[in-house]
Amino acid sequence: MRGRFSGSMITVAMAAAAIGAVISLSVTRTSVQAQATHPARVGGKPNFSGIWQANNEANWNLQPHAALPAAVTQSGIFPYDYARVPAAPVLALGAAGGVPGSLGVVQGDGQIPYKPEALLIKKANAEHWIDRDPELKCYLPGIPRAMYMPYPFQITQSTNEIHIAYEFSNTARTIHLDRVEGPPDDTWMGHSVGRWDGDTLVVDVTNFNDRTWFDRAGNFHSDALHLVERFTLMSTDIIRYEVTIEDPKVFTRPWRIAMPLYRRVEPNIQLLEFRCNEFVEEFMYGNLRKQQLVKHWEGDTMTVDITRKVPPGDGFYQWYGK
Amino acid sequence: MRTRLPMSIVAVMVTISVLAVLKPTNVTTADQAPVASVTTPPAGPVLKTPWGEPDLQGIWTDESDTPLQRPARYANQEFFTEEQRAELDKERSALLGRDKRVEPGTELDVAGAYNGVFMSFKHTGLRTSLIVDPPDGRIPALTPEAQKIAAADRQFRLALLQATETCKNKSVACSGGSYDPTPSPQRTALPPRYNTARMNRHDGPEDDALPDRCLTGGLPEFGNAYGGSFRRIVQTPGGISMFYDVGQGQGWQRNIVMNGSPHLPTNIRQWYGDSRGHWDGPTLVIDVTNFSPKTDFQGSRENLHLVERWTRAGPSSLEYVVTIEDPTVWTRPWTVKQEFTKQSEQENKIYYEPRCVEGNYALPSLLLGARTEDRAFAEGRGPDPATRDNATDFVGVEEDPLQ
Amino acid sequence: MRLERLVKVGVVGIALWGMATSVSAHHAFAAEFDANKPVNFKGTVTKMEWVNPHTWLHVDVKKPDGTVENWAVEAGTPNVLFRRGFTKESLLPGTEVVVDGYQSKDGSHRCNGRDLTLPDGRKLFLGSSGTGAPYELTPSSQKSK
Repeated sequence: MRGRFSGSMITVAMAAAAIGAVISLSVTRTSVQAQATHPARVGGKPNFSGIWQANNEANWNLQPHAALPAAVTQSGIFPYDYARVPAAPVLALGAAGGVPGSLGVVQGDGQIPYKPEALLIKKANAEHWIDRDPELKCYLPGIPRAMYMPYPFQITQSTNEIHIAYEFSNTARTIHLDRVEGPPDDTWMGHSVGRWDGDTLVVDVTNFNDRTWFDRAGNFHSDALHLVERFTLMSTDIIRYEVTIEDPKVFTRPWRIAMPLYRRVEPNIQLLEFRCNEFVEEFMYGNLRKQQLVKHWEGDTMTVDITRKVPPGDGFYQWYGK
Repeated sequence: MRTRLPMSIVAVMVTISVLAVLKPTNVTTADQAPVASVTTPPAGPVLKTPWGEPDLQGIWTDESDTPLQRPARYANQEFFTEEQRAELDKERSALLGRDKRVEPGTELDVAGAYNGVFMSFKHTGLRTSLIVDPPDGRIPALTPEAQKIAAADRQFRLALLQATETCKNKSVACSGGSYDPTPSPQRTALPPRYNTARMNRHDGPEDDALPDRCLTGGLPEFGNAYGGSFRRIVQTPGGISMFYDVGQGQGWQRNIVMNGSPHLPTNIRQWYGDSRGHWDGPTLVIDVTNFSPKTDFQGSRENLHLVERWTRAGPSSLEYVVTIEDPTVWTRPWTVKQEFTKQSEQENKIYYEPRCVEGNYALPSLLLGARTEDRAFAEGRGPDPATRDNATDFVGVEEDPLQ
Repeated sequence: MRLERLVKVGVVGIALWGMATSVSAHHAFAAEFDANKPVNFKGTVTKMEWVNPHTWLHVDVKKPDGTVENWAVEAGTPNVLFRRGFTKESLLPGTEVVVDGYQSKDGSHRCNGRDLTLPDGRKLFLGSSGTGAPYELTPSSQKSK
């Protein structure tokens, strides 16, 4: 009996060892494969190639904040800021519509130094989030927002160009390491020119239009936006990403954000499509259908009825330009 | 009397081609001898990246015009003669400048605003067709199933036109259909399958063509008359990135997986499919499957399968060969060959932010226009929208001799 | 390039199933603008939107009674125009333009720029500016001599 027990224990132990060996072997193979695909240096410089993703709450709000019931809220029964409730458009999402709390990514005192009149615009943006946030229309997110949206992006680093493809809506930008002319017009994703400062990639981004936001909290900029980004590898799988942001039309001084970007280490990770311009057609054009399509939803505890409308006059086209 | 390209221009072209070897510019003509074979890569040392892989990097576009299918009058000719090319260039130049206005106050005059500002006419290329296989340069025959689908689709679109002047006047756009003053009941029906092309109805965004919805751009991509076809290729050891700028600001990213893993599961279908690449000597071979049923290439949708071969053919040329197959649509695979020429990367205007949806005021405008007409008709102030043709496209130039 | 699609009226798009839609024009102007509402005016550019798929010129038009109307004029494709050498400097606010086009069906102050000219008669956007896209065929009407 004892012998049998020992025998089965040995069998189990051997099986466990075999499984362990297989697991560690595949982990090793994966790491080897990952490293073979992305050598540590390209052209003598640290290699940032690979698929990365931020893992924080910056896309909700760059600044430190407590958790919130939703991105758009209304007064609760008490007149206090801390006792608001989700507004109608997002009520049915429950906790899935909540805003997670965050220590924020703004460096220093965590405040964004708005000029007084610009701060009013930011507050109005937050209040009119549904109508104004370009993310909801699947418009190009701009930089730096594309770097910390909750979707992976892929860096392909060559010796004269570094191309970044973002999963969100087929967004992309090219960081030019060689001399290139400026773009013929202002852009959504900026004009990125990179250089090396030791092992840090420093990128100067200019030629922005004024159409993108920094986050879902209404933080915005003008066409005078100028960024200086710094990418530094903290380890094989973590980039320290810092941005100095200046915009003399909107802010009283430059300010900085910083965050880690994490490599997506799953063995067969690839970018998939997130072609949201198709997904948002109902949101953007559903009010122009011959017959309204999305109008009514029944849950157990609520009914949602939607009335569409067409803004009058110039307001109609201005909505798309927001 | 035939017009030859003056020798001085030929000399300049040759000189510029030589200079292109020394210092890349974007002034290049086709500078290599025609390659008769489909798959043999050109001879010569392979240009390599600093880390030793074949170098396909740069911004590339097709700098000459070649019809997809060989026009009937060139039936047995694989290549144009120099005289034919010069003559075609002359005829086409004449067409391009002629922004001919038709009768003002007609829908055709409105549509004619799509004139030379939008079009890109380039020098006539070397080949009489982009299709190199089958040898007749034509798309192979359709399967019976595909013919049925095409007929049903065509019939639906003609039904939407049957009460319009287009059909009353027996215009080309109505060929295969006939006039009937009573609008067809199909005006309130769904098309036979997911709609990708223009139709004479705007009940909602899905009635509009994919380009109208900024949802177009697709593979395979090897040339585009409205705005051109540009691809920026950036490589890294073991990886490659291709971003396209096509047509009127339509662009997309190809995520080309190079690690040898198998295609995505069959339930994941994408607009641009799933691209899996590997090096075969100097050639990048990419296998593309997993297309969405919402895409449409010459009638092929989710069963489209592409095998692409990208080879750096010279300092400023990139050879692109793609074998296209869909056994549910074509009776055999067919192959297209295109040559791309390197563009300046310093001139940042060549490849600009390819994007369409942010400025697509046209789509809400035409939907609102359709609703305005609906309302006018309901209130007795306007004609029945079913009798109006809002779909016919007047390109603004007359028949291209490369037909 | 799929040149078989470059033929007039109706062979493009509607009558043919499954043609690669990337080749046809972005949209049919006739669906957006009204043939019965031609417009012809001179105005001053206040803003340019160089957005794909079409640039939009925002133009102030002074009416005979002294009031000013703001019009938006739909024009060529930025990415195409940029390659031909146009930049945002090519059409600055303050420039006078003559617009010959058709008003949008929804009745708003929008029109397509069927013919856009500068006051001296030069056509806007046709042809190239400066370096242009050299591989393009020059329209014979623009060739010197």
